This record gives sequence, C-alpha cells and structure tokens, in this order.
Amino acid sequence: MAKVFIGVDIGSVSINIVAINEECELLFRLYKRNTGQPVELVKEGFNQLQKESGSLYEIAGVGVTGSGRQLIGYVLGADIIKNEITAHAAATTFYYPEVGTIFEIGGQDSKLIIIKNGIPVDFAMNTVCAAGTGSFLDHQAIRLGIRIEEFGKMALQAERDVRIAGRCTVFAESDMISKQQYGFTKPEIIKGLCRALVRNYMNNLVRGKQLEPQYIFQGGVAANEGIKAAFEEELDHEVIVPEHYDVMGAIGIAILARREMERTGRRTSFRGLDLTRDNFYTDTFSCTSCANECEIIRVKANEEVIAMTGDRCGKWSGSILNTGEREEGHI
Amino acid sequence: MKIGIPGSLLYYYYYPFWQTLFEKLGNEVVLSDPTSGDLLNEGVKESVSEICVPMKVYVGQVLNLLEKGVDLIYIPRFVSIRKGITFCPKFLGLPDMIKNSLSAVKGRILTHEIRAKTDDISEYKNYVSFRDIFQVSRGELKKALDKARQNWLKFRSLQQEGYKTEKLLLGEKEKREEGFLKIGVLGYVYNLYDRFINMDFMERLEEMGAKIVTFEMLDGEIIDRFVRNLRKPMFWEFTNKLMAAGYHFINSEDIDGIIHITAFGCGPDSILGPFLEIDAGKKNKPFMTLRIDEQTGESHLITRIEAFLDLLRLKKRSDIA
Repeated sequence: MAKVFIGVDIGSVSINIVAINEECELLFRLYKRNTGQPVELVKEGFNQLQKESGSLYEIAGVGVTGSGRQLIGYVLGADIIKNEITAHAAATTFYYPEVGTIFEIGGQDSKLIIIKNGIPVDFAMNTVCAAGTGSFLDHQAIRLGIRIEEFGKMALQAERDVRIAGRCTVFAESDMISKQQYGFTKPEIIKGLCRALVRNYMNNLVRGKQLEPQYIFQGGVAANEGIKAAFEEELDHEVIVPEHYDVMGAIGIAILARREMERTGRRTSFRGLDLTRDNFYTDTFSCTSCANECEIIRVKANEEVIAMTGDRCGKWSGSILNTGEREEGHI
Repeated sequence: MKIGIPGSLLYYYYYPFWQTLFEKLGNEVVLSDPTSGDLLNEGVKESVSEICVPMKVYVGQVLNLLEKGVDLIYIPRFVSIRKGITFCPKFLGLPDMIKNSLSAVKGRILTHEIRAKTDDISEYKNYVSFRDIFQVSRGELKKALDKARQNWLKFRSLQQEGYKTEKLLLGEKEKREEGFLKIGVLGYVYNLYDRFINMDFMERLEEMGAKIVTFEMLDGEIIDRFVRNLRKPMFWEFTNKLMAAGYHFINSEDIDGIIHITAFGCGPDSILGPFLEIDAGKKNKPFMTLRIDEQTGESHLITRIEAFLDLLRLKKRSDIA
C-alpha cells in the first residue's frame, strides 16, 4: 500500500484536512467551515477521507497545525504539532522555491513571512487587533447583504475610488456607512474596504520591511480578488495566489509530518481511522489547588481520559502520558 | 515589626538587599504571594485602567500584603541611580499612586527617596529616616546597610555567573540551561520573571531548546560603558540598561536572535523597541517583540516563540552547512 501523510489545520474559521503522498502530491483535500465543534468536524473529515481512498493507502504520519492544534493533536495521536507560521512556510517554499514574501490572511489573524533562499528569516503577526482578517470581511459581507464568495469580484467592478479608514474595524464600519449614505455604490465601498485592509496590513505587519518577489498570497482571504488586486496595486507587482491557497497550512504540516517520519524512522502514533467511531468529548473544571484557578480542559475518548491541558503548573497535563510523549518535533 | 515587600517591580533586582536590611534592623520580612489570577484581578480593580500590567500586579500585591496583616509595606521612591538619568515616571510616583488609590494602606507605607550614583543603593544618606522608624543608632543602621550591600553584590555576581534570577530569589542555585540556540532576552526584570503575566515565557523558551541571556547576566561594565558613551541616553535607567544589552546582543556573533518582551502600553519601550528593531535588522540579527498584558490565552505566545525558534534553527543549520 502506498504511504500517505495527513495534514490537519484547525483554524478559527475553517478546518482543513489534506493527504499527500511521498512525493508531496496532493491526493485529498477538504475545506470546512469551523462551526465550533472541531472534534466532530475532524471525524467527519476522516470519514470522508476513508470513503474516498481509505483502502488504497496506509497513513504513515499525521501533523496538526492551527490555533486549535493541541486538542486535535491529542485526539488524533498526531506525530507532529506545529505552529501555523512554520507550516505555511513549509508549503509555500515547496511549491514556490523562489518565494520572497508570503502574505497569509486567515480568519482571525494575518501573517507576513519573509523568505530568503528558501528559508523563512522573519515573520510578523497582527498583535492587538483583528482588523482586516477574514472574520471582519464575513461580517461586512453580511451587513452589505452580499455572499462572501462574491465579495472580491464585486470590488473589481468599481468605477470610482473611495477611501475607507482601515486602522480599526469600528472606524471602518462607520466610515462605510457614511460613504454609503453619500451615494457610493456597493462595489465602490467594497473596493475601498479592500484597499483599506491592505493599507492596514502594510502599516501593522510590513512596517517598512523590505519585501522581495515572488509575492505569494494565501489563506482563506486569498479567495478575495479585490484584496489580491489591492495588494498588486500597493506593491506594483504581480501577486500569486496558489491553487490550494485555502489549505496551504494543512499541506505544510503534512509535508513536515512526512519529513519528521523520514528523519526519525518512527512508526506513526496516529490512533487509526477507527477513531471516527470513537466517542470523544471534552469537559472543563476549575483547579482549586492554588490561587491561579486554571481552567483545565479534559479530553476523553470512550470515557477514558486521553489528555488534559490548560494548567500552568503541569499538575494535570503531566499526570497522563499524552499519547506516548510526543516530542515537539524538529523541522 | 512585620515589613511587607511586594514581589514585583524592582523586587526582582533588589530583594536580597531589602531582605537583609530589614532583618538586620530586627524585623520580620513578609513577601507577597506570587502573582496569580486572583491577585491580578484585585490589582486591576483598584488601578487606573491605562497603567501597564506590572503596575496593576504591584497594586494587587500591596493588597495581598494588607491581607497578610503586615505593619508596614515598603514602597521606596526610586529617583535615580545614575547621574542625569531617572526612572520611569510610574516609579517616581509609586508611593503616591499607591497612597491615593488604596485608602486601606493609609499610615502603613514605609517610603523614602533613593538617589544613588550607581546600582549600589546602600548609601547611608538615603536611609536616615529609618533611624527613628526602627529605633536604631547610626552605627547599627550603617552595619545593616553594609551587610545588605554584601548580600546584594553576591546575588549580582551569581547572576553574572549564569545562575537563574528566579531561583536565586527563592534561595536556590540553578544555572541557566544550555541549548542549541542562544537567545538574548530583553525585558525589565518584572516582565522577565513574573511567571504569571509572561505565561512561563522563560521556561517555555528553555524547554524548546534555547539558552537564555538577559541584561543582568552581562558584566556591569558593558552596560555602564555603553550608557556613558551614548550621545543622547534615554531618560530612564532600566531602559538604558536594556538598550546597552540590546546593542551588545546585536553585535555578539554567538547570539542567534533577540526577543524583546514588553508590557502593552509601556512608554519607554515604545522608544526603545524601534531603535533595537531597526538596528538588529541592519545587522541581520533576528528580532521579535512579544507583548504581554492581562490576557491568559497562551496560544498566541507559544505560536510566536515556536515560529521564531524554528526560523533561527533553520538559519543556524543552513549557516553551519
């Protein structure tokens, strides 16, 4: 049986699952909106994977990334759990060895990764504010009564330019309302918004850093042609959106899982596809051992506690061997 | 008497001095509890909202000491420990801020001004008021100050030998971990060593394979020489120290990267940070800023540290290869 490596990206807005083979070719991809029940969604995803290709392949490694990586990492028995910056860089440098700059805009955060000679050398992440990320665009699309999928295309139809404040989503929203009242059309407002978001990105993340081509734009927001056009205008250069822009994090962590298994020669600690029949649930309790009163999250599989997390002192998380003492993983 | 010392701010720099001094003067020293969620919440409630989180912690610790029933809480006013350089205004106004935000503390603050020429704050003239308060002679006070000075100097030299500050303060001796990567960590002592507000930042870094170097581990002469030669030094003492350490790290071949850990809203750091970031960039030294505040969600912190170390590791491997 041919070996495959699974990459799972648990983001704030979407959950993505991919499978790649030993040559890093993409065999399976799934993009799902995160409705707040990551465990269920991941199970459904693996079900689908099994249906489509289950008997043809052997799962030889599993990697998890994204803001929800710890919990799902426990549930799956992942071989590698890594941050999304490293994962995105791994995927992009694989597809575009010449890449110089990665713009990644996701549901709740935006990132800038600078690559030199195929190696990430610098990065920045939005700090105190989520202005300009996917969830803000979602919200504005609903307010304007437009499907988010059509949002970007509409921006390209604008005839005039209108300036919208991009520093803060609260200001942006009140600016949009007043510009609408002046009679600007929806496409013009949307175009103004796209440009405001890119301006905001340049001010908060790029902050005068030297950017080099190729420019690769990925993450869920890369679906938005208006933002892509605004980036191109700002940089006066072509911006490339990869074919699988929306699952690049998952592809990256799958590539890292493949490297990890190759490097260590270990067998995978993946729980196996039977996990789709297991019953997972999490509950929380407040630890009262000290004044910190940490909220402890307990993950159970068929009534058996498989992981605990959330404590600052290690009293609970250290009390069970979380799926065979996975090491942090090298890259 | 029971003298309470809040375990924040310059506690991490001067505690061995204060502890010895008050004990030698015949008092019992009571330290506030380590920062916790409860303690911070209490502090936040009683503080002005714009102030930085270490100050809110300090307020929480003063409240904690009141609960413990101490006779006096020691809140010195640090004015200057170097000619022409002062402290952040929040330190200059610290006793007043506490007095005016906490009515319960009335009459229980032990305060005095500290003006010294160097980090050594043992000069007798700063402590004259202690003679009446503790009913001691000039000779007894001088002797206590000298003993305090010796203990503090010992603490400082152990720091420079690479012993962990956080352990030394507990009376333990443990050397800093070795690691594949050497990271210069810049931050005020109360941000570096308050495990609650920085979410165990130092320990996490070490767990991920970093050897940490901080400003107090450097030879004092490196810092002093740098500040002396600055055409235009900063106004604030510890900001100058960090700046000196920062440039030392930028110019040190063996430092793989620099992390600046700063409290949200810190005024002095808003000037220090860009200086270092720009000049680190010129020298190709990876630099990252981490902001801490009241939040307790640690995933953003872990993501940043992990990604930064990944980046340094890749760079170092490709440099070696």
